[in-house]
Amino acid sequence: MYIIVAGGGKVGYYLAKELLSEGHEVLVIEQSAKKCEQISEELGSIALRGDACETTTLADAGMARADMVVAVTGDDEDNLVICQVAKKKFNAPRTIARINNPKNEPIFRKLGIDVTVSSTNIILEHLEAELPTHSVVHLLELRAQGLEILDIKVPPNSPAVGKLLKDLPIPANSVVSLHLSLKHGPSIPKGDSVIEAGDAMVVVTTPENEARLKEVLTGR
Amino acid sequence: MEKIANIMVPVSGHKIDEEAIGLACRVARAGKGRVYVVYVIEVTRTLPLNAELETEVKKGEVILDKAERVAEEVDYEVESELLQAREVGPALVDEAIERGVDLIIIGVPYKKRFGEFNLGKVAPYMLKNAPCRVWLVRQAISD
Amino acid sequence: MNIVIMGCGRVGARVAAIFDSEGHKVTVLDIEPYSFRRLPANFNGTAMVGNGIDVDVLRRAGIEQADAFAAVTQGDNRNVMAAQIAKHIFNVPKVVCRIYDPLREELYHTLGLETISPTNVGAQLVKDAIEKA
Repeated sequence: MYIIVAGGGKVGYYLAKELLSEGHEVLVIEQSAKKCEQISEELGSIALRGDACETTTLADAGMARADMVVAVTGDDEDNLVICQVAKKKFNAPRTIARINNPKNEPIFRKLGIDVTVSSTNIILEHLEAELPTHSVVHLLELRAQGLEILDIKVPPNSPAVGKLLKDLPIPANSVVSLHLSLKHGPSIPKGDSVIEAGDAMVVVTTPENEARLKEVLTGR
Repeated sequence: MEKIANIMVPVSGHKIDEEAIGLACRVARAGKGRVYVVYVIEVTRTLPLNAELETEVKKGEVILDKAERVAEEVDYEVESELLQAREVGPALVDEAIERGVDLIIIGVPYKKRFGEFNLGKVAPYMLKNAPCRVWLVRQAISD
Repeated sequence: MNIVIMGCGRVGARVAAIFDSEGHKVTVLDIEPYSFRRLPANFNGTAMVGNGIDVDVLRRAGIEQADAFAAVTQGDNRNVMAAQIAKHIFNVPKVVCRIYDPLREELYHTLGLETISPTNVGAQLVKDAIEKA
């Protein structure tokens, strides 16, 4: 694949390095001459000096034949514009934007960016997984399908404890796909699986059903 | 000065190339060395690196043919090579390293840009990055 | 009218002052409090420190009740982003966006933003002035 990386800071540099090692053709667009020189010295002729928000720079970069644009500058507004110009002017098949303010995630989506990556949110998700107070951990969002995969821990005081899975009022459009039993280890859940305190359930559901599901399995 | 066995002459099609080739042949003859003449096609990012660039290749071949004839005139045989790369400078440095050349002789046209003398992009890159000696042959202003 | 202006530079401050003097309700945003020195002493509107591409800041500036929003900071991309948030997220009826880069201006204009390129307008004015005998 031909991947254009906009922004040659630390994120852009290491991203380019990884993509190259996976055998992709990569071009980094960076405004600073010094950073461009450093990238060229270390990774070869893969840096283009210029402003990735400008149509002419993207044209020079061969945007028309690029399979993907990844905007990873430090500024959300720049990443938005880079992706929008790539998309609207060059029909980029796929645009990925790094965002700093997690609140910008739904905004970017609404404005046509295919994928957003928020380091703030990623750190928060890891914190969620580490903190015992969080009984629901978001494992994956399947945005195109409107689904999400959750890891839900069953606390001792949950109303689900001691019940059979088939007797729980699991909301519609939700599938319990894995039962991580403390006693018996992981298994594909069946109707007669018994839920015990400390068990974890991996559930595929829709964002609308998340709260209800949490209530059923954790009582909160 | 230690013996010079391998000399690389990057060419661009400018007439100063001829002086650089002539000089390379004379220096090489003294040490019974080889002369590589290299022309690099710079591929824009709008095309894949391995794109088939017929006109560019033809142009390069004409330039290299001319280089070979210049060498014949001083009765020396040179090897010529056509490369395709994203950037001329780094491609030449890589080639110099790969071939283990001892000396690069590069012709520099006397050019002005925005009213000031300009060395271009390739020569400064070679001066900064080539592992071996680099000689510049600057075109006379009167030429 | 209820107007929110992002960017209190020369243009932003001037627009804010004019609407204010005409009796409209004006809120002007800037990330740099020092910029508010450009507002006239008798300015009756609200001056707020904050980044206009942050939805929370825009809400605080009253964007949900605004009839018009103008993005006139020095940054083209900031203006483009704020204007799109105002138009597509908060559905502000009238959104105007300044974009210096003529190519970017053209693109966002075709995408439906109301855009102004001072570069194009200025160049045209200079050309007209030269040609006028």
